[in-house]
Amino acid sequence: MIIGLEHYLVLGALLFCIGFFIALSKKNAIGVLIGVELMLNAVNLTLIAFSRFGSAEVALSTQVFVVFIIAVAAAEVAVGLALALVVYRNRQTISVDRTTLLKG
Amino acid sequence: MSDFGFHLAFWSLAAMTLGGASMIMISRNLIHAVIWLVMSMLGVAGLYLTLSADFIAVVQVLIYVGAISVLMLFAIMLTPRAERDNSQNMKTGGPAALVVILVMISTLWVAIDTDWGAVREAALTEQARLIGESLIKHYILPFEIGAVLLTAALVGAIALARQDDEDAAVHASSLQAELEGDASVDPVDVVDPPIPSDGEAGS
Repeated sequence: MIIGLEHYLVLGALLFCIGFFIALSKKNAIGVLIGVELMLNAVNLTLIAFSRFGSAEVALSTQVFVVFIIAVAAAEVAVGLALALVVYRNRQTISVDRTTLLKG
Repeated sequence: MSDFGFHLAFWSLAAMTLGGASMIMISRNLIHAVIWLVMSMLGVAGLYLTLSADFIAVVQVLIYVGAISVLMLFAIMLTPRAERDNSQNMKTGGPAALVVILVMISTLWVAIDTDWGAVREAALTEQARLIGESLIKHYILPFEIGAVLLTAALVGAIALARQDDEDAAVHASSLQAELEGDASVDPVDVVDPPIPSDGEAGS
C-alpha cells in the first residue's frame, strides 16, 4: 500500500476533530486555546499535503499560505493568553462557564 | 517511495500526533496537556518532513514547539487558582461529542470519496529561497499586513497584560513587606525610599 494524499487528509480530519472536541469541552480558557491550536495545525497539515501532491505553483503558494496561517496563529495566541490573564486578574477564574459578565 | 522506512515514519508520526492530541483530551492537568501538545506538534513537524516541506517543519518547531508552548506554560503558571476549572464540561460534553462525530463523518467522507487528482511531481527544492522570494515579490501586500498585525498583537498583548502603575506599586510593596516579615511597612517608603542605603530599593 502506497501512502498517498488520502492518508494525510484522513489524519488531518481526525486531528481537526480532536481539536474541535477539546475546544468545545474544556472549561479552562487556556484549554480552549489548546484545542484551537490543534485545529490550526490540522488545517496546516492538510494544506501541506495538498502542496506535496499538487503542481509546482500550487506547492509554492500553499506553503506561503501556511506561513501566513502560522503568523496569524501566533498573534491570536498572544492576544488570547493576555485576555485570559486580564479575566483571571479581575474575576479570579478563567472558566468559560463562569465568566458571564455579558449575560443579560 | 513505498519503502519500509517511509511507512514506519508515517505511521509512527501519525500515532504520535493523534496520541498526543487524545491525551490532551483526557488529561485534567493543563501543564500535562501542554506537554502532550508539544508532542503532537512535533509529530506534525515530522509529518511535514515526510511531505518534503522542510522549511515549514523548521518553522513549526521554532514557533509552535518553542514559543507558543512556553507562552501557554507561562499563562498557566500566572493563573494558579484556575486549576479548579480544569474538569471537562459535562453539561455540554454530550452535544459537543455529537457535533464532532457529525463533522468527523462528513470530513472523512469527503476526504476518502473525492477524486483529488493527486499528481506526484518532484518536491520543491530550495524552499526557503522560493518562499522568501514570493513573500517579497508576489505576496508583498499580505506580508506587510502580517507585519502590522504582529506588531498590533504584540502592543495589544502588552497593553492588556500589564498592571496599572499604582496597582503594581502596592502589590510590590506588600510582597516586600511579606518577605521582610513586617506588615507595617508603609508603601510610600518602599516606592520613595528616604535613605538610599539599599541599591535595589530605588527601582
